Amino acid sequence: MLMGKKAGGFKGGFNLLDAYPLKFCNIVEDISSDGTPETFHFPVPTQKVEHVIVNLCPTEPWALPNWVILRHKTTAFLSVLKEIKNSHFSSARFYIAINEKEDRTVADAKNFACNEDWMSVFPLYAKYPQDDPVILTKVILGMDVHFGQDTESLGVLILDAQTVSSIYESCILRKNVNSRFIVLSGTGLKENEILNVQLGTSIGKILKNKSKEVGRYRVFINGPLRGQEITDLSQKTDWSINHIVVLEEKDRKVILPMIKPDELVLTTNVLGELRRCVSCNFCDDICPVDLEPALYYHSYTRGEKHKARLYNLGKCIECGLCSFICPSKLELLEIIKECKALDKQK
Amino acid sequence: MKKFLKPVEPILDKGLDTVESFIHTHPKVNFLFGSLFGAFDGLLRSSKETTHTQPFIRNNYDVKRFMGAVLVALVVGWVLPAIYFYGWQGVVSKLLVSFVIGIFVVDVIWAIIARENHISEGGFVSCLFIPAILPPQAPLWLVGLGAALAIIFRNILGGVGNNLVNPALFSRLFLTICFPALLVTGYQTPFVGMPDPHTFRYGLDAITHATPLTAFKANGEIASYLSLLLGTASGSLGETCRLALIASGLWLIKMRVANWRIPVSYLGSVLVFSVFFSLIFGKTVAPPLFQLLSGGLIMGAFFMATDPITATYNQTAKWIFGAGCGFITVLIRDFTTLPEGVMYAILLMNLLAIPIQSLMVKIRYRVQE
Repeated sequence: MLMGKKAGGFKGGFNLLDAYPLKFCNIVEDISSDGTPETFHFPVPTQKVEHVIVNLCPTEPWALPNWVILRHKTTAFLSVLKEIKNSHFSSARFYIAINEKEDRTVADAKNFACNEDWMSVFPLYAKYPQDDPVILTKVILGMDVHFGQDTESLGVLILDAQTVSSIYESCILRKNVNSRFIVLSGTGLKENEILNVQLGTSIGKILKNKSKEVGRYRVFINGPLRGQEITDLSQKTDWSINHIVVLEEKDRKVILPMIKPDELVLTTNVLGELRRCVSCNFCDDICPVDLEPALYYHSYTRGEKHKARLYNLGKCIECGLCSFICPSKLELLEIIKECKALDKQK
Repeated sequence: MKKFLKPVEPILDKGLDTVESFIHTHPKVNFLFGSLFGAFDGLLRSSKETTHTQPFIRNNYDVKRFMGAVLVALVVGWVLPAIYFYGWQGVVSKLLVSFVIGIFVVDVIWAIIARENHISEGGFVSCLFIPAILPPQAPLWLVGLGAALAIIFRNILGGVGNNLVNPALFSRLFLTICFPALLVTGYQTPFVGMPDPHTFRYGLDAITHATPLTAFKANGEIASYLSLLLGTASGSLGETCRLALIASGLWLIKMRVANWRIPVSYLGSVLVFSVFFSLIFGKTVAPPLFQLLSGGLIMGAFFMATDPITATYNQTAKWIFGAGCGFITVLIRDFTTLPEGVMYAILLMNLLAIPIQSLMVKIRYRVQE
């Protein structure tokens, strides 16, 4: 409602960074792999790249913070970017999206950009899902991208800080890049850490001695909102893993939860009982692409799944905020996915 | 508080666990008391369900808090002022009757017969409304009957989430038809001044006075705006102290429980249409500010019309919904023999919400069926 059209460039969204503040240890630990590590190889886009968006605006608290890559030397990072531009994307224009709360980074980047006409700096309000490709291209370039569409076919390349530094090391310095920063956080751990992991290390090895002894925990790769749960801890790390979140399961009843607000936060407990939709409008207030998720629920419960696609279903970017906010604890994202799947079958 | 509860917690937790396992192992006990225990347990303990699909974390805000906020707002908005103006004895006894009959008799029996899993918290809100919308001197049996009707009517349509119209208002409509004499009299004059033990207990002794809207209909008398705002003019038990109602209503809007569009459009359209009709018909119709501050309008706009289930879901349609409520309210107040029209307006618009909603959806998405 009132949080609507703030300096985020889009309506809705949710500030996860304020809701779940996570503190990280300043020391980065190295973990080496047992076998031969996989090396990073940057697939140079075949199509002509016109726009490169560098995303320095992580909106999820469990994502890699900027300081790990930038090391508070924004200018050095941007010089690296310039070298990449000159060697690979000489005709492209660069857009740097930075969390507006990181004043120093924004100021440094703006100073740097004064003398460079190939790049522009966008300070953004870091509410989730600002860093989603669909929202990012919409806010920065004003282009409409469909969910799941490959942005490279439109000439847009989206890079994060870690990929930029890996490209620099492997393509320009010709080094063998075989390790990656992985963020380890969550209530199931003794402390939140940032690890420099050689690829090919199993997740079990990473988590060894790091989880709390008491209580059961569940492991999610790439965050609990958009990521996947993994049960097989022998899975090897690869380039697609950015962060691992370990959450307490909390599958038991907690007495007097109202006087213990921290007890269940950031656990997999649903924090409430399943009810029918009360039309509270929370889901369409929070929806970043201006949909009305409750309409899908109503179609679904009436047994008219095919009707859901009439209500702009294709615009949904599956950010999961509607399920996240729903006070009736409805599985809205699941319903949306089911309705979408029906559409594909046809 | 936390320290004080710490030693009790494990005992309570264990006790509840024992009762729960006892109930679940005895089907007959579960049949009778399962839902009651579920409701009680739900108040004290969190759910043990965990997420199995994306997203795997959920927000710490559930329907219980949603309803809890309405309850808090209602207690501040009408219960506390009513205790001051009419004495605690009348208010508390009415609340007790309403809750006992509504929740602990009708709802429990319904849950047993209909085999519901739990008693939903929406009933508390309905039962807290019932004494507020009846005259201060309404007999206790009328309050009990009202609560029972509200809960029965709510449950017939399937409970929270399926309401067609506001159950508390529907029950008042029923009572208005069945017992007209009891609902047009009994408007006790509120007590004003420093309460002594006697007035704190009973309020003023049984001096009744016509409500401001009835007085205007009868002889064109307009009550002072300050008395309407502070609650010293007569009216239903819970509707008189507009200042407290506005404050708690604004708090509800801040908590995002009530949608701000509905009170704004409702009060706005009452203002617009009453100005319009005053300009045409002059002094035969009530002046705009008097209309805004009299009767159940403030309570209706902030608490009744904003009931999310009976309003429209679409945000744009909420403006139409609110404006329609305001228009019908002014029409009934100005051009019928009825002094007050908020109840009829909200009930009618609750029904009209369904076509308005589907129309807006069709316009927004250009749905072709």
